[in-house]
Amino acid sequence: MKCRKCKAPAEIPLPSHNTAFCRDCFAAYFTGQVEKAIRRHGLINPGERVLVALSGGKDSLSLMLELSRLGYDVTGLHVDLGIPASSPAARAKVAGFCELHGLKLRVVELIKEGLPIPDVKRYINRPICSACGKIKRHWFNRVALEDGFQVLATGHNLDDEVARLFANTLRWDAGYLSDQGPCLNAENGFARKIKPLYRLSEFETACYAFLNGIEIHSAPCPYSGKASFTGHKRLWADLEHQSPGSKISFYDGFLKRGRPAFAQVELEAGVTLAPCESCGSPTSTGICGVCRLGIAVRERRAADPERQ
Amino acid sequence: MITVFVEPDNETHTFERHNTVLMLQKRLGLRVNDALIIRGGTLLTPDDRLIDGDEIRVRKVISRG
Repeated sequence: MKCRKCKAPAEIPLPSHNTAFCRDCFAAYFTGQVEKAIRRHGLINPGERVLVALSGGKDSLSLMLELSRLGYDVTGLHVDLGIPASSPAARAKVAGFCELHGLKLRVVELIKEGLPIPDVKRYINRPICSACGKIKRHWFNRVALEDGFQVLATGHNLDDEVARLFANTLRWDAGYLSDQGPCLNAENGFARKIKPLYRLSEFETACYAFLNGIEIHSAPCPYSGKASFTGHKRLWADLEHQSPGSKISFYDGFLKRGRPAFAQVELEAGVTLAPCESCGSPTSTGICGVCRLGIAVRERRAADPERQ
Repeated sequence: MITVFVEPDNETHTFERHNTVLMLQKRLGLRVNDALIIRGGTLLTPDDRLIDGDEIRVRKVISRG
């Protein structure tokens, strides 16, 4: 297999694009896709400070490295979930990566915040992935606003976005369908959220991480065994295999023709947000969902005879 | 003999013979972009040939939440 651009031996086959690249031409392709996403959706303006959410996985670390190479002012944010079986390893990968590349890093420790994920799993009767995601998003936004970042970047790739869009569509969840996309503008106490890798597949970010020697935290979360997104990704992998290009077509088509309609519906429904009475984060319920989780965990932990 | 180490499952397989990467992928039930196929510091494409003594690392790419 030859590189489409320079005819050297290829290392990265991309059936979705009916092509293959050598590592040098793939690097240029990858950068081009990130630049195209930033330019097309106005993700980052000159001079803005970017907070990059770092889990330790291939996507977030690849995003951090690529944005720094493009000259953006980036700082990493890692939320240490406090899961004994996985969090220390993930945090070590993130810290090692940032030190190696001379990148700034901020860490939030959920144990210190009184809301470690094992306690949430033990005391709260709701899907743990949903609660964990909510807590992480809360801290991403809170740190971004409190520390003066204009932009919050996450490493969501095309497969993540298509799986999420698919799940939202299966439920016809107008609220989520109204604002899913690579850019969610700052408003109502939320920093601007961006997804510069949305044009790149999971395979492509994995190739980027490997070719750049990024050491990643690849062990699955011990609590994520039943995550529905993994099943949706498999369905889409089948579809993409039979019909290359389906993913980006589905997602781009939604951005152009689906999202505006759902945004109009949500505009008419109108949800009013106000600062949380406890932490100041935006909420429609007086006390935000994460503070309510914290209160419930504290109460149940205090009443747990095993924790006395 | 070809030795194949699969991540993140931490499984090791040995195969008597596989002519190409594509044959190995089919044997493991993987499509072209389901996993990185690594030999040394190089990524392999489906048409690359495997030879006796190869040590291959298969790194699955689907993240799980």
